[in-house]
Amino acid sequence: MPSFRVPLVLIALSVGFVEIFGVAGRGQTADIAPLDVVVGLGLPAVDRGVISGSSRVPDSPETRVRRSIRLSSATPDRIGASGVRYVPGRVIVKFRDGVSTPARLSTLSIASRTASMSERPAYANFDVVRIDTSEDAEAVAQALGQRPDVEYAQAAYRLHTEFKPNDPYYATRQWNLPLIDLERAWDIQPQAGSSITVAVVDTGIAYTNATITQTAGAWVEGCVDRAPDCVPGPRPALGRLTLPYAAAPQLGAISRFVAPHDFIWDTSTPLDLDGHGTHVSGTIGQLTNDGIGTAGVAFGVKLMPVKVIDGDWDDILGAPNFGTDDIVARGIRYAADNGAKVLNLSIGRSSPSDCGTRPTQAGCSPIIEDAVRYAVSKGAFLAVAGGNDFEDGNPTQLIPEICSRVNGCVSVAAVDPLKQHSFFSSTGSWIELAAPGGSNRGFSEGGFIWQQTFDFKYTDTFLQPPARYDAPRFDVLGYIGYIGTSQATPHVVGVAAMLMQQGITDPAAVEAALEKFATDLGDPGRDSLYGFGLINARNALRGLGIGK
Amino acid sequence: MRLAIALFLALALAAPLGAQTRRSTVGSDDTPAVSFRPFFVGAAQQLAAKNTFKAVFGQSVQPFWGGGLQVALGGGIYIEIGVSRFKKTGQRAFVNNGQAFPLGIPLTATITPVEVSGGYRFRVSPRVLPYAGAGISRYAYIETSDFADAGENVDATHTGFLVVGGVELRVHRWVGVGVDFQYTHIPGILGSGGVSKELGENDLGGTALRVKVLVGR
Repeated sequence: MPSFRVPLVLIALSVGFVEIFGVAGRGQTADIAPLDVVVGLGLPAVDRGVISGSSRVPDSPETRVRRSIRLSSATPDRIGASGVRYVPGRVIVKFRDGVSTPARLSTLSIASRTASMSERPAYANFDVVRIDTSEDAEAVAQALGQRPDVEYAQAAYRLHTEFKPNDPYYATRQWNLPLIDLERAWDIQPQAGSSITVAVVDTGIAYTNATITQTAGAWVEGCVDRAPDCVPGPRPALGRLTLPYAAAPQLGAISRFVAPHDFIWDTSTPLDLDGHGTHVSGTIGQLTNDGIGTAGVAFGVKLMPVKVIDGDWDDILGAPNFGTDDIVARGIRYAADNGAKVLNLSIGRSSPSDCGTRPTQAGCSPIIEDAVRYAVSKGAFLAVAGGNDFEDGNPTQLIPEICSRVNGCVSVAAVDPLKQHSFFSSTGSWIELAAPGGSNRGFSEGGFIWQQTFDFKYTDTFLQPPARYDAPRFDVLGYIGYIGTSQATPHVVGVAAMLMQQGITDPAAVEAALEKFATDLGDPGRDSLYGFGLINARNALRGLGIGK
Repeated sequence: MRLAIALFLALALAAPLGAQTRRSTVGSDDTPAVSFRPFFVGAAQQLAAKNTFKAVFGQSVQPFWGGGLQVALGGGIYIEIGVSRFKKTGQRAFVNNGQAFPLGIPLTATITPVEVSGGYRFRVSPRVLPYAGAGISRYAYIETSDFADAGENVDATHTGFLVVGGVELRVHRWVGVGVDFQYTHIPGILGSGGVSKELGENDLGGTALRVKVLVGR
């Protein structure tokens, strides 16, 4: 990697020089040019660690991502009468001191007709006896243990990792993953969804280094949904910009991303200019157990970035499309047609309450409903944010309401670290499941969902007063806390991906499993705050036995 | 369970002696008034919880192997005690709308029926003896699977009833081969959880095609 850095720096500087001086004086034009993205041209991200008022972590942009999760063994283990898993074909024996080799062999032959003993392994004060794999190793061990010349004998019981990610923020900030019993789910499925592609239908993903060249025109800040100190009024044109863009290092190498598509710019480079999609992707599949940053739920999955929502910079830079029903519907269909088995839709809007019975009235969206049903018919499972409007009139939410009528699509409410309803989480009959979405009321930063995304200090320059308004840079990342049903949804998506990998391939069955094994919260049974309850990854993945 | 096995072994070992001591009391057809006949049995059992077993093991007909002792009394009446065993490893599953999804997590089920029955043997001919009987069956059921917490495995026993009918063919003076159908009903173990609850199946018994090899006259 260091060997590539010098030429990359030179190329970047050259492009920047040409762009800056080549367009000087051109000023702002009204033309809408396609987003000029040179993929791969750019430096790695600057990782600013946790971005908060009280803490900092060392930058680590050069840290090589390592995967240390072992794949599950192909050895066909057996379960003994004790209920413990062991490797067949071997028994561990400790003979008493002084027992001769002929005596040992004689003892072995009494316990098992197939027993044979080879040289004692290094660092062992015991012997490993080979027996036929069809023999009951526990029974042979028990027989050997009763012989007078044997001190003890046992089957070769299998140990497994009590997997707990070593990502530093997992232990200190990610209350959300243990809340859904994820550690024990990872024990069941260490690959964490590696054969599944998850589409993140969102604002894009910071999945590649790039250099963006585009013209930023003048615009007017209306201060809608902005901070109280927002200064309304016109913002100047910034002219032709060359913007550095870096992949989020903790989402993994570019080879992990499949079939990316941008429906906002009509390109195949769905770069996230907002940070939301990157954050959501982190909860789904952040690299895990690599000693860096945070962990993700299904950290083995492949990710499909499908950009259907425009961020502020998309608008300022003149994107030709916006996050409208048609764009979202196309994005859903695209993901289903290109192999995504699970779709994350941390997006939404309100709607009339009776779209199910009057789908053609204003405010409803038959095209999104068609797209949702189409995706499910193609074998894809969808999870949709239940909405953040509880304190804003709690209107019906469009896609969640659709999902509540489609088996294979679920709407997700948010809970806080105490498994209580998050204050913002929309409620209604359409809510089907709950997952950690966080809360800052009573929890401060401790109630956030943390993942790596852009440092807003460098991207949200449009929030600055006109005099300080400047070009953004998308190559400085850190660990940012979010709250919302947008953050709850990727928990469900990650577990759904693991369920698909575990063998539940039908979207309706995935929904049924998630709902059946959910931990009931609130009123007994399904309710409008939590649906069927808080998802439980371990129980869903473990499924059912015969009698229990 | 251990007591039952010990009882079975004791009876099985004792059987030849018993037969020998009664050889002098053989009637005109050379059949002793009371004979002790150990037997070995293999069965293919169509489990009543057939969808449950199909979901976990891929098929609902499962093999049982065992043995026991039959005591043939005078006048065609017999009583019998037997023990058999089924043990197999399948995988945990999830069921939705009747469709099973195997999850690749090993699950081992062990069923050990101990059966006491009695019936009547009809002497159609010296070589062909149809028989019918009924009795009680006590099933011990153990289910273990990976990643189980305390209390998540199953170790239960329950008693039900059985009826049996078949025919014994005397292939040798000392050897008979019985082929019969046995129906067993064992409620109380399945149906309260797991796949069996999802599928509404609560009977661990079933219908078995059994082949018995009996030693003795």
